[in-house]
Amino acid sequence: MLWMTLVGAGGGAGAAALSRSWRTRGSGRVPWTALGWLAFAAAMALAVATLGAGRGVFVAFSLISIAAWIVVACGLEIRQVRRRKSRSLAPEPVERPSTWWRGTLRWLLAGPIGLFAAMGIGIFYLTWTGGADQTRLVIGGMIVPVVWAACMAWTLADNRILRATAFLIGVIVFGFGLSMLKGF
Amino acid sequence: MSGAAAIPGKKRKPLLSRIPTGFVQAVLKGHSGLGIAFAAVIYIVCLSGTLAVFYDEFLRWENPDAPRVEAVSPEAVQTALEQAVQQAGEGVEHVYLTMPDKDRPYLRVSVDAAQESDWIADGAGDLVAPMRDAWSEFILGLHIYLHLPATWGIFVVGMTGVALLSSLISGILAHPRILRDAFHLRIGGSQRLQEADLHNRIGVWGLPFHIVISLTGAFLGLVTVTVGVLGLVMFDGDTDRIYDLFLAQEPAENPAPAPLLDLAPMFAQLPDAGRIDRITLEHPTEQGGAALFDFRNDAALAETASYAFDRGGLYYAKGAEDFTFGETVLGSMGPLHFGWFSGGVIKIAYGILGLGVTYLAVGGIKIWLARRRDKGRPAPGWERVWAAVVWGQPLGLAAAALAALAAPAAGQGLLIGVWGGVALAALALAAALPAAAIGRWGKMLSGAALIVLGLWHAAGHGGLAGPALVWIVDLALLAAGALLCGLALGGMRSARQRTVAPQGHP
Repeated sequence: MLWMTLVGAGGGAGAAALSRSWRTRGSGRVPWTALGWLAFAAAMALAVATLGAGRGVFVAFSLISIAAWIVVACGLEIRQVRRRKSRSLAPEPVERPSTWWRGTLRWLLAGPIGLFAAMGIGIFYLTWTGGADQTRLVIGGMIVPVVWAACMAWTLADNRILRATAFLIGVIVFGFGLSMLKGF
Repeated sequence: MSGAAAIPGKKRKPLLSRIPTGFVQAVLKGHSGLGIAFAAVIYIVCLSGTLAVFYDEFLRWENPDAPRVEAVSPEAVQTALEQAVQQAGEGVEHVYLTMPDKDRPYLRVSVDAAQESDWIADGAGDLVAPMRDAWSEFILGLHIYLHLPATWGIFVVGMTGVALLSSLISGILAHPRILRDAFHLRIGGSQRLQEADLHNRIGVWGLPFHIVISLTGAFLGLVTVTVGVLGLVMFDGDTDRIYDLFLAQEPAENPAPAPLLDLAPMFAQLPDAGRIDRITLEHPTEQGGAALFDFRNDAALAETASYAFDRGGLYYAKGAEDFTFGETVLGSMGPLHFGWFSGGVIKIAYGILGLGVTYLAVGGIKIWLARRRDKGRPAPGWERVWAAVVWGQPLGLAAAALAALAAPAAGQGLLIGVWGGVALAALALAAALPAAAIGRWGKMLSGAALIVLGLWHAAGHGGLAGPALVWIVDLALLAAGALLCGLALGGMRSARQRTVAPQGHP
């Protein structure tokens, strides 16, 4: 409990220092930035040293995130409602014309085709790398959601949908083909 | 940033600001589309997941009279086993003995026979009461498979994890002001700016947590499909060969009747390998019976050792040094996903972070709706539907918990019916009420239901003499209920002021 409090305090100190850096103009921000990242690193090191490498890293991630939220919340700025619409500084999503087949193909790429491409890469990894069977299976299994997520992000964004189609189908053919060629 | 004007010469733009606007807009389009498609299911999975972090606490809350047991002797475990098997009668397939620890201070015995039974035993091993777990299992089931047919439900939840992970990738790529806005939190003024600030600050500062839960959730949810395809492609459809790599060796089949397995000599042979977490017995009343002891070291994330005995003695031993890296990673997935790895502080942290990720889904849709309104293309129908989805859930979950309290012997069917019925009724209200009214009444009714739940439980279960943890859960329910009612009342007051003085500031 004491160690966790210290880890959380370290995370809070780091976030507060980065916040100070963020509010400072010019070269004066450098020491605060360094101090902030050093405090994060110290909190992480303390967590690992006291709770072990496995648990410590994830305890630190959790507590530093919450400490940072608290620091962000402390800088809350209350604004008055304006009559006129405020001009947004944020970019707007692109307005692109779409047809039914492009929309269908886009979601097929993000869904089943992306899944099979991800599986192709995951299975390729586990068949073509060395090490314990269990380790290759688990890492190959972890590759699948990461690659599928990346495929989703890419294919839903890319305006050139046929390029994405060709690439993903190529990945499926090569991933599964080379894996079946070698075997487990 | 007016100070920048005073700096002479041309200043190089920060790296993230150099990302082409067209790229950011395209990624934002994908982020928005994915969020809209998955928002409701992400919201339900994350909200139920936040509650599932406190699974052990809810189990304790459902069983306030369970005697506190911190450690049990091998004799007590054997007594509990004998009594549970005797109660179950014929056809015992498996028995699961969950050993007491800090988060579960009781001995639990579950018997998988013709009729399943689940018991709490005291420190001497005597069964004292049936285990009540309707609400705890309901919330866990909702998170893991949405109470759909299990295979499909788990896949849908796994796909939701992938969608969340993908949203994190596109969300970061679509946020070139990530550093410039790192600490901005502006409330009031433009609703779109307010929601964008909340969405981005919660998303960015909680990023490690969001990656951990989405990746582990997606992995666990996709295991069946991944193993199925792998088995088909590489093992001629034999997926058992993959599972066998991770599971303890099965005992040899021999269905001839035999006396109940005696655990005492097995306990005597166990090495000092940490704390026994669970004992799984296979066919304990057959000649082919066996017992698997799983150990846990509280300093580690995953299980640390497993030993299995049949009637001939120890036949399977796996110490900490025998676990491959892959097995350790796999064993860590569940604890990391649910926050079950470092006691109460991390559970509370996961609860707060879980509410944050739940709000990402809520706020994402609010940004989309506010953007449409700003552009002169409001979607009041979708605003009402989204308000009904958001506020139907806490009300439905609170109603399901009330049902579990009112009818503790009822099965999952009642709770699913109550939760689903309330969620559908809220959606039906979207046809009649404006979004703001749905939000206000949703908060008020959810808050009232939580207050009733806390008071009813406190009054009827254990009284002041009950365990501290049970009182903490009751107080948390009352506090959450009071907060929601307070927010609803504040919203109603603002709405009245707007009605009375439409020209003034609301």
